[in-house]
Amino acid sequence: MVGLGFRRDFAEELIEGKLITPDFVEFAPENWMNMGGYWRKMLHKVVDKYPVLCHGLSLSIGSPDDLDMPFLQQVKDFLDEFQVQLYSEHLSYSKCDNAHLYDLLPIPFRKDAVQHIVQRIQTVQDFLQRPIAMEIVSYYTPVAAEMSESAFIRDIVQQSGCKLLLDVNNIYVNAFNHQYDAKQFIQELPLDRVAYIHMAGHEQVSDDLIIDTHGEAIIDPVYDLFDWTIQHIQPVPVLLERDFNIPEMPALQEELSRLKQICAKHWPAKNELVA
Amino acid sequence: MNLSPNTYEAQQLFSQYCRDGVYKPIPGVNPARMEHYRRLVFNVVRDNLESTFPILFQQTDEDTWLFWVNDFFQHHNCQATQVWKMGEEFYQYALAQDWQTKYQLPHLRDLLLFEWTEMELYNMPDIPYPAVQAQGSWENNHIALNPEHRLLVFNYPVHQHATITETTTREGHYFVVQYREPAEGNILFVEVSAWLAFVLEQLHNGFTLQDIFPYAPALHIEVNELLVHNTISFLQDMRARKLVLGFAAEV
Repeated sequence: MVGLGFRRDFAEELIEGKLITPDFVEFAPENWMNMGGYWRKMLHKVVDKYPVLCHGLSLSIGSPDDLDMPFLQQVKDFLDEFQVQLYSEHLSYSKCDNAHLYDLLPIPFRKDAVQHIVQRIQTVQDFLQRPIAMEIVSYYTPVAAEMSESAFIRDIVQQSGCKLLLDVNNIYVNAFNHQYDAKQFIQELPLDRVAYIHMAGHEQVSDDLIIDTHGEAIIDPVYDLFDWTIQHIQPVPVLLERDFNIPEMPALQEELSRLKQICAKHWPAKNELVA
Repeated sequence: MNLSPNTYEAQQLFSQYCRDGVYKPIPGVNPARMEHYRRLVFNVVRDNLESTFPILFQQTDEDTWLFWVNDFFQHHNCQATQVWKMGEEFYQYALAQDWQTKYQLPHLRDLLLFEWTEMELYNMPDIPYPAVQAQGSWENNHIALNPEHRLLVFNYPVHQHATITETTTREGHYFVVQYREPAEGNILFVEVSAWLAFVLEQLHNGFTLQDIFPYAPALHIEVNELLVHNTISFLQDMRARKLVLGFAAEV
């Protein structure tokens, strides 16, 4: 199944379901919970039409600060209300010293950070009463690293029991920015734990730096990496993210179709929404 | 917490740089790449505040606006997990810092409140509408108001979208009702007289017009046929505009 990240920019087209036909949609709970009015109604219309997956923004799993349990309760209520089949979050932090920063900051790849995050993921999973999938985020500089990125991720996934959200574009971006081999990196991950894939576009801002913008179409090398990657994992839901510079719907549909074609090539059996 | 002091410090330095843009060396970090984090984080904050306070942003010169956003984000610990709620914290921060006096903008408190209320009403959870009936007596029945409204009192006519000079030279008492209309969820507002503000407030508290009229003399308003007629006409107009829902259903 190939889904689309829900944006207000194309909510009506999604509900109409003519120009764009994803198999499911993904919401960020933070953008919708405790919300009423027009967009609450639109949310219900979309949920009535499509299966829903949720991808959080504010959990801040790598934060030195305590987990925000009242916030988690709100997330749980939202997931329950909309019968969300999979909840994912970012392997990063967005809060420090009691202040939210509203972006995804890179966690130091260190053993103590692994222990810290493993414990927090387990707390979150116990509280939500469901496994969560953690996304490998794009990052532009390492921070105080003492171990490899792949070992850091592998240890967290294996010790916490969480699932893995493989953002293929992020891995492409990271491999470019930090000069490593994307395929080798992927092979070092616990691929049997992959529950979800994200795909997106990016922007190269200099000779040696790509920024993960979600504002452009997916480029061919990322499609190629996706094609290669899914041959090494079981069928899972695949999401197209497009947050800015929204094109006409046929262009987005074309990207969805291309992703579906690649999935069909390697995953002949019907892939269930939750791996 | 399982984090070592070194890891904790690296995370603190990184996040602090994103907030203030002052780089202090962090082990293993490529300093040239850090500016992108600062830019990306700051843009989220700036874009959010510009969309929450479009009138204030439009009235403010760029340097001052950037200073305010920087000052707020650097010194205030943002608590909202939902980014759209950041506007309320900015509003409270501006009041606490007394920017109104510091920048000689006497209307600032009113404008921030007006714009934040619009954002809050637009996004807030639905409030159940009361049961209403179409027919009733305007004077004797309980009148049901749209519960998704706010009655605001300003010293300056910030709702009239005038220039700063026009706004700040017209100090007075302005009563504005903002509300979320049910069909499209748009936020509408209407300026009302002190009397009508009082009427709406008391209707909201469950009184009838018959209960309210006797208090008009205390507001130096004579109760006569014209007052009754104009008050009911206003409420009828507001019914068409979905601020008044109808007559409260008999229990």
